[in-house]
Amino acid sequence: MTRQPVFEHEATPAAVPPPSAGDVPGRRPQRFGLLPYRRWGGPLRPGYHAVWPIARVALVLMFRRKLFWVLYALALFTFLMFFFGQYLLAWALSQVGEQRIPLWQGGPRINPTWLIQQVRDGLGINGSPQMYRTFLGYQGSMVMVVLALAGSLLVGNDFRYGSLPFYLSKPISRWHYLLGKCLAVAVFVNMMTTLPAVVLFVQYGLLQADGVRTAWSYFTEQRWLLLGIVGYGGILTVCFSLLLVATACWLRRTVPMIMVWAALFIFCRLIAAALVNWLHGPATCRLIDLWNNAYLLGSACLGLEMATVRPQPQPSLWQAALTLAGVCLGCLIYLNRQLRAVEVVS
Amino acid sequence: MELLELNSVSRRFGSRWALRDVTLRLGPGRIGLLGPNGAGKSTLLKIIMGLLEPTSGTGHVLGQPLHEDGTWRRQRIGYMPEADALVPGLGGAEYVALAGELAGLPRRQALRRAHEVLSYLELEEARYRRLEEYSTGMKQRIKLAQALVHDPPLLLLDEPTSGLDPAGREAMLQLLRVLGQEHHKSLIVSTHLLGDVEQVCDQVVILNEGRLLFQGNLSESSGRRHDRYVLHVEGETTAFLDDLRLEGVRLLDDNGRGRWRVAVPPGWTTRAFFLLADHHQVVVRGLRRDDEDLEELFRRLVSAQGRAGETAVDQGAAPGDGVQAGGDEAS
Repeated sequence: MTRQPVFEHEATPAAVPPPSAGDVPGRRPQRFGLLPYRRWGGPLRPGYHAVWPIARVALVLMFRRKLFWVLYALALFTFLMFFFGQYLLAWALSQVGEQRIPLWQGGPRINPTWLIQQVRDGLGINGSPQMYRTFLGYQGSMVMVVLALAGSLLVGNDFRYGSLPFYLSKPISRWHYLLGKCLAVAVFVNMMTTLPAVVLFVQYGLLQADGVRTAWSYFTEQRWLLLGIVGYGGILTVCFSLLLVATACWLRRTVPMIMVWAALFIFCRLIAAALVNWLHGPATCRLIDLWNNAYLLGSACLGLEMATVRPQPQPSLWQAALTLAGVCLGCLIYLNRQLRAVEVVS
Repeated sequence: MELLELNSVSRRFGSRWALRDVTLRLGPGRIGLLGPNGAGKSTLLKIIMGLLEPTSGTGHVLGQPLHEDGTWRRQRIGYMPEADALVPGLGGAEYVALAGELAGLPRRQALRRAHEVLSYLELEEARYRRLEEYSTGMKQRIKLAQALVHDPPLLLLDEPTSGLDPAGREAMLQLLRVLGQEHHKSLIVSTHLLGDVEQVCDQVVILNEGRLLFQGNLSESSGRRHDRYVLHVEGETTAFLDDLRLEGVRLLDDNGRGRWRVAVPPGWTTRAFFLLADHHQVVVRGLRRDDEDLEELFRRLVSAQGRAGETAVDQGAAPGDGVQAGGDEAS
């Protein structure tokens, strides 16, 4: 979108006077600072270009706090365990030969490859969909903790310190603002979930390469697994970002944020477990556990049967999907109302 | 092209009218927007910025119809809010560059413009400091910088001198004058401080209870009183004053040091002051016409509307219906 001069006296880019010439011929303009005032005659971009700057600034503000680096490092511990676990097991496999070895002197002989495979399966570090589901589950728990702390910083402060009128007085719509904030949360969530999971997938593929099979053939064979990982990450991203932005918009401060977040993801889970496991209520009672719903959908993305989800019984997939969709829709309606109520000119 | 053109624009919130039948035509320039609380200033600004649509009426802002997409207008408008509206944690340059990016500038250009504008506004030394560490004067200037970064032709300034000390206020007003006069920015200054409007603006719009009370040049508003003078005399003034009264001159105000504000009868000439002074052996040290200043005009218009509203209520009509909107009321 090219910015057209509105008034006759507005200079076009070609007619921009040199800074020292000023706007009034023959008269030196009054100068305040070191530089004179200069005109801008270039194009101005449409509102959707503002989404990334909003997200970028939110991320910058978050990562300026040391606490988030510490939490991020802590969250990467799980990833490092999986990463080096995979590597060590692959290395061990490459070191053993075909010969059977005795478990102890004079004892039964076993195949070391079989033993390592047992350890691999036992630990669940075997490149299977279950491994990624477990990994994303662990990472997701860590993400929830970090987001509870980040919510007030990402969104709450905009309400508390009056930054919102600043954003909304610019040529962007309220949805651009919301999209920018959700994008910031999405980047953060994916940095802790999808990205490490994809790294594990790539690492596993590379470790599988041998004389017969290339890494590329693994990637092409397992492309649905990769899509499943991305899909699970997408579910976590959409649900968490909308829920976080809505909660932060409502509460604005860190401590209430943590309390509500804990209620949503810990107490709801405990209540659901109590209702279904101890009081033998219907499986649909688990629907109040949002984390479980995301887990069910993630399992489906990874191509896993619902029967593999523990504990049983579980609600059906469509019920979980419908619940999460309802929560996301509720968040969107709430955010729309909250943002419409902001007084840009007070 | 007109800066702003409104034809019978009204805006209602529930049962309350925030703006009522406002017809306004403003050319480029420096415009003061005056009115007491609840006058409809904020609603008018929101309509100008495209954040709100009028309930009825038509109009154009910068040539764009009011009912069209407001983002086009906001790309051509820089808004300086009254409240802080800062992003805590950001440095000055980052904040202004963010404003530029939100306005549609590419990142590199936004950064460059941010540094230029901050330097122009004498904030170059504070541009890397966190916004929380800024003083009130610096906050006001950085708010102006974020409004100015994309070089809009129109600046909407909401209480630009709010919270400033006298020196800071004077500097801000000087800056606004220069932006208007030398860089040809059109300014709409919404304020309660009439002195700010007198110092910066060449046009004034006065609103009260959602109605337009006055619109015109400041020189027009102050040049309408030809029967008032400020008279400064020295000597024995008792007999002189008695004679003035006999001639039909009314003494409105006496400062006790030989300076009076007087109202003269129709047909009075200034020469008569000197003839009487000469007759009574007093010296006329000063004589100037006592034009109505903005504050007096504002008070008169607002109180006239209040009286008209009361009368209308007494007669069973809606408040404000008896007041003639527009410049006729002020004349």
